[in-house]
Amino acid sequence: MSDFFVIVMKEVRDLMRNKQIIVGMIIVPLILFPALGKMISFGMSEAKEETKVILVNFDEGKYGNVLISALKAAPNVTVTLIDAQTVQEAIQKAQAEGYNVVVIIPKDFSKNIEANEKTYVEVYAVFKGISAGIKESVSEGRINVVLQVLNEELAKLKISETVKGNPEAVLHPIDAKSYSVIQGRIVNVPPSVVSGIIYSQAFSIPLVLFIMISYVSQMAATTMAAEKENKTLETLLTLPVRRVTIITGKMVGTAIIALVASIAYMIGLKYYISSFSPENMTQIGITLKDLGLEMTPKGALLFGISLFLSIVFALSLAMLISVFAEDVRSASTMVSMIMMPLLFPIWILMFKDVSTLPLAVKYFLYAIPFSHPVIASRAVLLKQYGIVYAGIAYLLFISGAMLYITAKFFSTEKVLTAKLKWGKKRGAEK
Amino acid sequence: MTAIKVENLEKDYGKVKALRGISFEVKEGEIFGLIGPNGAGKSTTLKILATLLMPTGGRAEVYGYDVVSEADEVRKLISYLPEEAGAYKNLTGYEYLQFMAKLYAKTGKSVEEMLKLGVEIAGLGERIHDKVATYSKGMTRKLLLARALMVMPKLAILDEPASGLDIINAYTIRQTIKRFAREEGVTFLVSSHNMLEVEFLCDRVALINKGIIVEVGTPKELKEKYNAENLEEVFMKAVGVKL
Repeated sequence: MSDFFVIVMKEVRDLMRNKQIIVGMIIVPLILFPALGKMISFGMSEAKEETKVILVNFDEGKYGNVLISALKAAPNVTVTLIDAQTVQEAIQKAQAEGYNVVVIIPKDFSKNIEANEKTYVEVYAVFKGISAGIKESVSEGRINVVLQVLNEELAKLKISETVKGNPEAVLHPIDAKSYSVIQGRIVNVPPSVVSGIIYSQAFSIPLVLFIMISYVSQMAATTMAAEKENKTLETLLTLPVRRVTIITGKMVGTAIIALVASIAYMIGLKYYISSFSPENMTQIGITLKDLGLEMTPKGALLFGISLFLSIVFALSLAMLISVFAEDVRSASTMVSMIMMPLLFPIWILMFKDVSTLPLAVKYFLYAIPFSHPVIASRAVLLKQYGIVYAGIAYLLFISGAMLYITAKFFSTEKVLTAKLKWGKKRGAEK
Repeated sequence: MTAIKVENLEKDYGKVKALRGISFEVKEGEIFGLIGPNGAGKSTTLKILATLLMPTGGRAEVYGYDVVSEADEVRKLISYLPEEAGAYKNLTGYEYLQFMAKLYAKTGKSVEEMLKLGVEIAGLGERIHDKVATYSKGMTRKLLLARALMVMPKLAILDEPASGLDIINAYTIRQTIKRFAREEGVTFLVSSHNMLEVEFLCDRVALINKGIIVEVGTPKELKEKYNAENLEEVFMKAVGVKL
């Protein structure tokens, strides 16, 4: 077995037995995230229960009954008609029998409609406790939908009595027919749906990258600083193994664990998000492929290379930073302090396309290695490979340089004597 | 053959001069002791020979290889035990030895042979299969010594091999060192501030104080020269402290 493989295996084994890492990697994403999602979706499903309506009709004309029939026909609504003398009485009954909505049709309801006057319906939502109140607002929404439909129908009815022609056309003379043009191709999908799909993509890639890079660099810092803290580094550096093999072996071991952790996070996050947004794009049945935005094998490969190189950069930088720390805790703090400012600008890419940004901001983002996988993820969909190649060339240079600096640093004594003492320099003691 | 050759070695840490031009030689198969008080420059000398630190001046060779320009060659010959060393806590003692054996296996012996020897030197019994995190200081030290010796180095550099250990563990470790020098022909460079330990263990010693070597010789020669009963007395007289 080669030295490199021996070091990778040891690193993976060592990290897998670290309780903190296991908790952060398995417990948090795979148990906590879905549990949180479940809690939210429980609240949602409660809200989806039947809206039980108590209805009191004080109206004497025909339109009161039309409304009652419309409500009875509405989905998820159960209507119980009662005789009550006052609003108070109806509410008391609703509370006693577990109804969540009381609807009162007033006395002059039909009369006003017939006289072309405005009328109203009273809707009382009964809050049982002080919770989020989703259920009550959903119930109100359902009643409003019924009223809206009824309004339309009544309006059409009145129009047909006075005007010739199609009442629908009189009421809504103009409709918009929406299409999207993607890369010169007309797609029969409204732009709002397209942007929804693109948005979910635009949002998820930077998020995935953010989690992954944070995880990778934290873990690299931990593994390096642990060598110092546990006093194993000196021994390691005197072994008959090339320093660059030691570093790359550690990097790969760390990257493997970080990859597993990132996958766990993705799964956890997917559960979390899907638990309260069931109407996601896949259910609508339109995918990026339908829009002509397909990732080709070539595109996937280029995106993979871009991602890989940015991870190499993160690993090298984190290892270099952690050399200056004395223990795991300070290494973790130092790495966060340096990585976060480098990672935050990629959030801009969540909301903006890089080509639409002012020149200074654009080049600032181009200079940050972590922007490139995000940019690449979009460019490969549009098959604009030029910018992807340029990004890969830049990453190849900057990640290579970072790796070289780190390896060089490890071949000097600084790896043992370097210490950052906020503003004060100190060498080794003996 | 000369195992170690040190010539005018100097080392500065910023303004602090840790070594001020020391020279000595160690012959193959010898147990050579570097003795002196804390901060005398023992660990620095050992770290330079172990290829961890760069000398500011002078040069050092291990079996003819320069420790700076031929560090890779030197690392194939040596085994270094730092004064304050640890092992990977999440691995078992056995896994730790196995990891090290795999990295050294190309130097001659097979992984299995090294492991067998390592387990024997460590003398931890069944505990060798427990995690290092559960070991006492003495157990960890024995595991680390086993790691250093099982690879059969041509030169073992041991910094305070028995420091902080109880009498039984310290005795066992010294016996092991002696046995390896006599039976296997391993050369040892040992540092200690325990002069009595060194007197028992070493064939020759160098007394070091404030970055300068004040005397080199066999314990017997030095005691005779200074008319002293033990090396402690020799040291005090050599550095000019009136008794």
